[in-house]
Amino acid sequence: MLLVLSAEHRAHLGCLPRAGDAAVGELGRLALEQLRRGAAPRACEAAARKLNIGIDTIQHGVEGLVYLLTESSKLMISEIDFQDSIHVLGFSDELNKSLLQLYLDNRKEIRSILGELAPRLPSYHSLEWRLDVQLASRSLRQQIKPAVTMKLHLNQNEDQTAQVLQTDPATLLHLIQQLEQALGEMKMNHCRRIVRNMK
Amino acid sequence: ILDDPDLKEIDPTVLKHCHAAAATCILEAGKQKADISAISACLEDCKLDKERIEQFCTEYQHRELVTVVSFSIGRSPLHVTDVSWRLEYQIKNNQLHKTYQPSYLVTLNVENSDSGSHSDVSFSCTMEQLQDLVGKLKDAAKSLERATQM
Repeated sequence: MLLVLSAEHRAHLGCLPRAGDAAVGELGRLALEQLRRGAAPRACEAAARKLNIGIDTIQHGVEGLVYLLTESSKLMISEIDFQDSIHVLGFSDELNKSLLQLYLDNRKEIRSILGELAPRLPSYHSLEWRLDVQLASRSLRQQIKPAVTMKLHLNQNEDQTAQVLQTDPATLLHLIQQLEQALGEMKMNHCRRIVRNMK
Repeated sequence: ILDDPDLKEIDPTVLKHCHAAAATCILEAGKQKADISAISACLEDCKLDKERIEQFCTEYQHRELVTVVSFSIGRSPLHVTDVSWRLEYQIKNNQLHKTYQPSYLVTLNVENSDSGSHSDVSFSCTMEQLQDLVGKLKDAAKSLERATQM
């Protein structure tokens, strides 16, 4: 699958051949830092001074690289496709090779960063449980009412929430049976076939 | 009671008092699990004659419903009544393609004893996390079994 680069994108990356090899390495590093930690205008200024290039050019170059790397990692394009996609920019072979290396070295990390942006439901963290027996209440004395009290810990966008729930023994056994069925589904032929064929 | 033709002769206020008194008596007796002798003794103290005490006690014998109702009154944390689950295989999202991750979406149906409303707790988990959850629930069930054998 080929990456389609817009005219603006190509213009941004157009500064790379003029900048020289050292600059390309520096811009690559800045692009990765921007992906990890967000935009850093001061670092761009420092690079602009060191390489003797205008700050606007540096920033455009960094942004262009960021976009190139994120789109390639997102689509997980192969080496050949990546090379063919940047071929249209008309860079030298050496520059193409450095860009390819930059992509291959960092795509796993970029994919894990992108993975954290996906929409997420609250996810399971852990469960604590406790066995209780209710002996009396305001409306009835001398009872024996067993119950299981649980504290369900969930993660929601880096917040941990705890929910206190209670069930009776019959429902507990029903829950266990249903969830075991759910686990069993993963091992069925249908799921295995789909997982195998969709790699 | 106010519409009952047999009771039309009696002053409605008195009727209400009698009804309330009888109901309270039944509830208290049920709450304390009092037996017939205890109830008779109590009613004697209230200066009821033997015939009425006997009638009351016979009616009281049919008190199973009261106990059931009292049993279910009371506060408790949210009560889980059922669970639904969904197994899905994620292929891509708008940030990342080719993700290829299976995951479970579990919903616990929860009832609130106060309002009778249904709020549900939903969460997603991986297969390992679901195994952890099921393992912990099974531990709880096992300790329940051991407790009943004590």
